[in-house]
Amino acid sequence: MDKKTGVYICSGCSIGETLDMEALAKVAESEFKVPVCRTHNFLCGREGLGMIRKDLEEEGVSAVVIAGWSPRMKTEAFRFDPAMVQERVNLREHVVWSHADGGEDVQMLAEDYLRMGIVKANKSEPLQPVAEEISKRILVVGGGVTGVTSALEAAAAGYEVTLVEKQDQLGGFVGTLSRRFPKDPPYTELNLEGIADKIQEALYHPKIQALTSARIKKIEGEPGRFNAVVETKSGDTEVKAGAVIMATGWKPYDASKLGHLGYGTSPDVVTNVEFEKMAGEGPVVRPSDGKPVESVLFVQCAGSRDENHLPYCSSVCCMATLKHAAYIRSRNPDAKVYIIYKDMRTPGQYEKFYMKTQDHALNFLTKGEVAAVEAGGNGKVTVQVKDTLIGRDMAVEADLVVLATGMVPNAADGEAIRALEDAKIKATTGESENQKAEAAKTVEALKHHEGTAILNLTYRQGPDLPVLAHGFPDSNFVCFPYETRRTGIYAAGTVRAPMDSVHAEEDALGAAMKAIQSVELASRGEAVHPRSRDLSFPEFFLQRCTQCKRCTEECPFGALDEDEKGTPKPNPYRCRRCGVCMGACPERIVSFKNYSVDMIASMIKAIEVPDEDEEKPRVLVFMCENDAYPSLDIAGLHRKEINPYVRVIPLRCLGSMNIVWIADALSRGIDGVMLVGCKYGDDYQCHFAKGSELADRRLENVKETLDRLRLESERIQLTQLAINEYDKLPSLIETFMKRIDELGPNPYKGF
Amino acid sequence: MPEPVLIQPDAAFIRDVIETGGGDLKKCFQCATCSAVCTLSPEDAPFPRKQMIEAQWGLKEHLAGDPAVWLCHNCGDCTTNCPRGARPGDVLGAVRSALIRAFSFPRFMGSLLASPKWLPLLYLLPVIIFGAIALLGPKAVSTASPEFAELFPIPILEALFFTVSGLVVIVLAVGLTRFIRALRAAGCKESILKGLAPAVADIATHKRFRKCSKEQTRSWGHLLTFWGFVGLAVMGTAVGIGTMAGIMHTPLALTSPWKVFANVCAAVVFVGCVMLLVDRVRDPEKRASSTYFDWFFLLTLAGVVFTGILSETLRLGSAVWAMYTVYFVHLVLIFTLFLYAPYSKFAHFLYRTVAMAAAGKGT
Repeated sequence: MDKKTGVYICSGCSIGETLDMEALAKVAESEFKVPVCRTHNFLCGREGLGMIRKDLEEEGVSAVVIAGWSPRMKTEAFRFDPAMVQERVNLREHVVWSHADGGEDVQMLAEDYLRMGIVKANKSEPLQPVAEEISKRILVVGGGVTGVTSALEAAAAGYEVTLVEKQDQLGGFVGTLSRRFPKDPPYTELNLEGIADKIQEALYHPKIQALTSARIKKIEGEPGRFNAVVETKSGDTEVKAGAVIMATGWKPYDASKLGHLGYGTSPDVVTNVEFEKMAGEGPVVRPSDGKPVESVLFVQCAGSRDENHLPYCSSVCCMATLKHAAYIRSRNPDAKVYIIYKDMRTPGQYEKFYMKTQDHALNFLTKGEVAAVEAGGNGKVTVQVKDTLIGRDMAVEADLVVLATGMVPNAADGEAIRALEDAKIKATTGESENQKAEAAKTVEALKHHEGTAILNLTYRQGPDLPVLAHGFPDSNFVCFPYETRRTGIYAAGTVRAPMDSVHAEEDALGAAMKAIQSVELASRGEAVHPRSRDLSFPEFFLQRCTQCKRCTEECPFGALDEDEKGTPKPNPYRCRRCGVCMGACPERIVSFKNYSVDMIASMIKAIEVPDEDEEKPRVLVFMCENDAYPSLDIAGLHRKEINPYVRVIPLRCLGSMNIVWIADALSRGIDGVMLVGCKYGDDYQCHFAKGSELADRRLENVKETLDRLRLESERIQLTQLAINEYDKLPSLIETFMKRIDELGPNPYKGF
Repeated sequence: MPEPVLIQPDAAFIRDVIETGGGDLKKCFQCATCSAVCTLSPEDAPFPRKQMIEAQWGLKEHLAGDPAVWLCHNCGDCTTNCPRGARPGDVLGAVRSALIRAFSFPRFMGSLLASPKWLPLLYLLPVIIFGAIALLGPKAVSTASPEFAELFPIPILEALFFTVSGLVVIVLAVGLTRFIRALRAAGCKESILKGLAPAVADIATHKRFRKCSKEQTRSWGHLLTFWGFVGLAVMGTAVGIGTMAGIMHTPLALTSPWKVFANVCAAVVFVGCVMLLVDRVRDPEKRASSTYFDWFFLLTLAGVVFTGILSETLRLGSAVWAMYTVYFVHLVLIFTLFLYAPYSKFAHFLYRTVAMAAAGKGT
């Protein structure tokens, strides 16, 4: 279908005062022979919108290029039928607001942006909404407090739920507690409410199918079309689901590794989980001789916040200990309770319970580090503590020592399992002895992952979720809670981050919302966060595929499976439309209808590069749409001056950057290329987990290209930027421009 | 590093501190705001953060041998600034009172002073003694103007008070020995004798005390009370000895330099006491933090001076029965002040002086 392009240029918001509007319109009309080009001084108003709508109906315009405000603004009002090609040119924030004085260079900038916008629109094709048959059922894995709550919340919102629990009854760890942390003001009394009512409700809810003594045998498919096989006592059950909530909870840290804290040296050294059980069953007695306990010492952070064990804080052990102190108190008012902590961490209102516990005359708390725990001769356990608040090392004798151990997520490292499988094969079929030995070493290192998979996904990148810090599968617990790196699978509760049951219930709700969002978006063929409502899908021109597997390996979301030869098998609904595959592909066979390698390359070609003697350098800046591009908008909003020689092209993610663009730009005489994307590393901010890091890795290869072109590698730079660093952006660009000045003009100008 | 010390919390001590003014002791979470705001806290051994946890843990021996407990003059800055409401100033006061009782001999006497419930018993003893003297003692020959000696013969009073003073000195010596032993056990190596002169010099000028108090009523009140009392003590002892030796004859003439000195001292103590009382009553914060232990000592002292001045005035005005009655009260209060000194707040003069000497905190 032939497109009829309409270009609409707004002259409001001081665009008209800064730029020569006629010259701008001429670019569209003369250079590109655009059939419809109109200028309006208040395009975003009702009249302007009406004008565009009229053209769509009467003139048959099918591709709209709006040159005015940032594409991030007024998105709802100017959202047209997806069958229309829609493109924006950011004349306001990126041109006139950030170049107050105007002039020739700014006019050139605006005209280049308009050219780039028209080229992109011309290359784009309309999107076709895909309507597949999808299931909106939500599969909840794990029937503890989180899973049960998620199931109830999703069911209450009208969704069918299948709840899978490996034990023979629902409830999990919280179901076994005799008391929970305080829930109501003044937060000084333990909560007697269990979750029995909740469990009953879930068991009898007409929309919830609860499968106990069950496990996930297999999950295949994609969001909206997951196909799970659940193994139960009465045989396998198939479940078609749209989204999965992983609420598999936690297990206590393995206390057998805590020999240095006396675990195993005396039966009177127990863990907090063991104590919970002991204290739940009547009077607290010494395990060694059954005598009533007169003194108890709690060791906080037992194996927690310790690089050799769990490097993180589990956030609940302090409260658990305070609760256990209350257990002891209720049975023996004269017992001495010692608590040795690194820091007492009782978040929020729990501080009130800490204060109450502190108040008892015979509760003794001090910061300190337990140096040794030994069975004393008198039937007591002697604990030596150093770095105490009394200013000297001390020894305390207690009838019972309780180690407050932390939480380990009940998660499996899907990528490690896959790596183990690969290494196993390589260990026998490797090309050289050396390779085989290497593989055998890997097998040894990863052996403990064998058989740990819980979700048993049939994904190419591994049978379970990839884990991030400390073995938790959450993708970024600050910015995108519940999201994992498997689209449509959401982690909630203690498998996501250590938390107590109140927070787990909140978490359950959040994850249920995410799962519902996911199935609803899938039902309309739309992407989930961060490209919510995006209708584009990557398309693979497989005839040219060389089976290099870069796309299937690099996809941050495991969207691509593989056939035996290594040809990618897309699962479109798993895709988050970041375009990492597009950036990865050396054959450039991956493209979206409105985003492709050719499209960006054409935009680069549309930039007018002045001759060397004009002394107007040109620098191309690829900006991540998620944080960097908005920062530049904010900089414009604050009227920060930006160098007028840069040309910005937004990318869905730096990970979608294909290195051919850099070669294209440099061979056209553009003097330098800057990439601005999210921070990567341990505390990454990349919205697609690995994109900016992958771009950085790809730049290594660019150096070869530069060598071939006999160009300085300093002409390329990747900068990491957080969204709140807009004020740094102008000077970052300025510094790069200075460097380009020093390097001199690109010798390829004019070719 | 020294051997780790075996920690055995003294539950009775904790309860004692909690019940005698340190009720918020357990609230402390060791942020050390108190040590940071305290103007007297030395940099090399700051207090009262450490003393707070030692008190929380019932580490009586640690506190008994720690001079820092006595270096505090209780201005209340720490209490005002404590983010947790643990009232460190009050806790240290309670610790001092508990330690005074702990050092005292015999210890049951300390317990009698700890709670108002024994107050009637404490007064009963002097009331019986002076009642008996008044009723049964030999009466002196009546002179032109009425004299106290007519009802309370001087030789009997002299004998009684020198005996009481002797006892008090012995008891204080026992307390002092216990304190020094505790200091040494806790590792204090300073020579107390060497530190004594600077400590006394500091006490004489109240330099540290004045650094401590936010407003001056309290430190000046204390300074006046202190010097007035020292004057009275010196004068009283001298006159006592003089009378016994037969050199002096009471009542002294109003124009006698001794009498003038005594009256000035009494007036000074009286003004000092009033200032201290005003300080405690005016500020609701200080009113709240004043304990029975504080009131007992302060009111007894004020009462002694007040009844002393009043009885002298009545004597000069020849109001016979009123004069005897007030004098009787005066004697009872003096007796209370002296006999119970080792067990009451009075004893702080001794322990604080020694602690300042031991900590080298003199001027």
